[in-house]
Amino acid sequence: MKMKKMVAGLSTAVFAFGALAACGGGTDSGSTNEGGSTSENKPEKIVIWEDIEKSETTKEVAKAFEEEHGVAVEVVEVQMTDQKDKLALDGPAGKGPDIVLVPHDQIGTIADQGHLAPLTDEGALDAFTDASKSAVMFDGQAYGYPKSVETPVLMYNKDLVSEAPTSMDDLYKLSTDLKSKGEYGFLALWDNFYFAHGVVSGFGGYVFKEDGGALDPTDVGLNNEGAVEGFEYIGKWYEEGLFPKGLIGESGGQAMDQLFTEKKAHTVMNGPWAVAGYTDAGVNLGASALPTLPNGEPIKTFMGVKTYALSAYTENQEWAEMFLAELTNEENALKMFEAYNEIPPVAALETNETITSNEVAKAVFDQATNAIPMPNIPEMGQVWEPMAQALQLVATGKQDAQKSADDAVKVIEQQIQANNQ
Amino acid sequence: MASIANPKTPEQRPDKPTNHARNAALLSIIPGAGQFYNNQKAKAIAFFIVIMSYFAVNYDLFFKGAGAGPGDRGGLWGLITLGEVAGPRNDHSIFLMVEGIVALILLFFGIAFYIWNIRDAYRVGRIRDQHLNVPTFQVQLRNLRDHGFPYLMLIPSLILLVFTVVLPLIFTFLIAFTNYRYNNAPPAKLVEWIGFENFTRIFEIDIWRDTFVGVLGWTLVWTVASTVGVIAIGIFLAVLLNQEGLRFRRLFRSILILSWAVPAFITILIFRSMFNESFGVFNTTILPAFGLDPINWMTDPTATRSALILIQWWLGFPFIMTLMTGVLQSIPGDLYEAATIDGATIFDKFRLITLPMLLFATAPILITQFTFNFNNFNIIYLFNGGGPAVPGQTAGGTDILISWIYKLSLGANPQYGLAAAITLILSFFIMTLAVIQFRRTKSFKDEDMI
Repeated sequence: MKMKKMVAGLSTAVFAFGALAACGGGTDSGSTNEGGSTSENKPEKIVIWEDIEKSETTKEVAKAFEEEHGVAVEVVEVQMTDQKDKLALDGPAGKGPDIVLVPHDQIGTIADQGHLAPLTDEGALDAFTDASKSAVMFDGQAYGYPKSVETPVLMYNKDLVSEAPTSMDDLYKLSTDLKSKGEYGFLALWDNFYFAHGVVSGFGGYVFKEDGGALDPTDVGLNNEGAVEGFEYIGKWYEEGLFPKGLIGESGGQAMDQLFTEKKAHTVMNGPWAVAGYTDAGVNLGASALPTLPNGEPIKTFMGVKTYALSAYTENQEWAEMFLAELTNEENALKMFEAYNEIPPVAALETNETITSNEVAKAVFDQATNAIPMPNIPEMGQVWEPMAQALQLVATGKQDAQKSADDAVKVIEQQIQANNQ
Repeated sequence: MASIANPKTPEQRPDKPTNHARNAALLSIIPGAGQFYNNQKAKAIAFFIVIMSYFAVNYDLFFKGAGAGPGDRGGLWGLITLGEVAGPRNDHSIFLMVEGIVALILLFFGIAFYIWNIRDAYRVGRIRDQHLNVPTFQVQLRNLRDHGFPYLMLIPSLILLVFTVVLPLIFTFLIAFTNYRYNNAPPAKLVEWIGFENFTRIFEIDIWRDTFVGVLGWTLVWTVASTVGVIAIGIFLAVLLNQEGLRFRRLFRSILILSWAVPAFITILIFRSMFNESFGVFNTTILPAFGLDPINWMTDPTATRSALILIQWWLGFPFIMTLMTGVLQSIPGDLYEAATIDGATIFDKFRLITLPMLLFATAPILITQFTFNFNNFNIIYLFNGGGPAVPGQTAGGTDILISWIYKLSLGANPQYGLAAAITLILSFFIMTLAVIQFRRTKSFKDEDMI
């Protein structure tokens, strides 16, 4: 019995130490919450999370900002895709940054959970293109400064194609002519909804109905007449053998890159991120906006906007906004473009020579005028998987376009409905 | 009567009866005072210091510091209310809940220690009442060293266990009774206690009920089909390899065991490519060779399910085969000799001797095979991510409960409360099955079959 007692005594002592440790953490977060500084006071520093291996320009701007205003800016590299989850943990613990960098299509989910603060000064966004401005809007409020814009464009091998085709009909003809040679006129990953969306919405489909700047998650237009026409058009390219079989599925991207760099594919639909790989492989690369569809409409690709957003946990919102305005102004956005090929959606830069002389950047700018920002409401998360499946069924010719689209939309609608029940 | 005539017990010594036990216990309400009364000064100080420091250290956790709002609100307050004001600088329901659980666990240990403090004083008091020697502090320390060593060694891991296993368990359990989900999450909103609503949601709302029934049905079919298949194939091959006069036995055994030598997730990923609809080897080479049409392995639920079961057979049989080979060698040959004399056919011998012996000896392992496949997340997730998507339910066509829970909690629009509720249901299933089966299995009882 005695021994047991001693054991218990010791264990309690250990627990007490454990509690001490636990409590130390708790008081920390409490004190940061209380010590809120007003915006009049200069904060010691503000913290920005920048994408990994892309922070040099930001650091330069931060240095200039500190010299001018006397507020230090700490630039921390965090993988952009990880920032959302990290903010949700670090923010409440009082260790979060003032500024995060997120893809704009995540804004809805993060803002909905209260991790982001809307901008106080929406007028500052007037310098950006309309499409990128609408991309950062959620629930009627602006949630960030656009950093760069991405959208798929037409890339072609100048050794094989002298001039960028302007209509899909031309490309179709090119493809059918080349088929006998075992070459491909045009390749696109249309079994992936990110790329297929351009065709589907070009024919008249839409993901969520836009109503006065807000998206309506109860109105999914991916099986309307136009969308089905788009599905059928996609199916046609696969069915007639204009796309190789290996292009379907997750290794499709690899297959496409390989065919393009081996000069077997004359043109491809791909985004600016692919440029480095193509030029490294020795492709004499040209780029332009995507051609028009047979119905005369442009291909309305999805547009993604990397966005600097404000953490809801920041106590230095005004300083953070001031820094962002500087970081994304014409001059610094151009620096960012020169350093990392991040194409800035700054309206004044559209005619800037540095950008227009870069074929890919110009193509992205041109394509962006027809592009649709990826919906940034949380319900978008339910769209990808069913659409991927519908597209796969159409691409492999296993099911007709109407039924595939109907099934997918039914799943999407049920998922969205169920999540709110 | 006799005992009164012959007083032997210490109580009936001529001295005046004492009340040390009661007094010490009452005094112990102030920690250590009872021990002090019992003349155990070192112990008294130890008790006093431990309990006082416990209070000092945990005061904040119990009585204030939780949440960010005004007032002295402790960890338990946070656990009960889950916060009062939402917002990034105010109450964070989930953090409050975790703090509350920690407070609860510490409170439990505190109360236990306090009770033990009183009991200790009472017991020592009783020893004194009986006029026996009270062991000194040194003696107690020596006892601890001599007999308590294993306990001392176990304590750190026990503490670790409480905070790494018990705490998350309580957390999951509690989340099941909240409305925590993607559009009702802190800091934007407060999470609230909603009682059994998550459970009624599963059974009352059509889409969730259909999903649950669909997923549970497939989970059961999957568990039974994959496990029984693996066992059947394993036994069949083991018996075959054990036939007398079989040549190149080692070679065959080595070949058959190969699929075990490759890590399962690599095998699954390879199969995933082989089953690819447009360029996988099944659709491009194997099926056409037999004059069959390609099958939608990845987009037709039935085809995906069949593929999954076949892959699990491939992955699982070598283990059962090896296991059974070992058991086969321990079956006494005279049983078969006697059977042969009695005129039994080879099938009679298998059915009446081999099979019962094998199943008897390996029952516990076979049960773990069932529970393993019931929660076999890897194969489902790696092969097709639980897909294909099917209309009418929110889970994919091949999602089993565990992968559905994964999607619900880590997918695009997380439903944490619901996922936790399903987790509880799933654990209930597993535990019931395990208990029933373990109890019914003869091999867990002491008797030998032979």
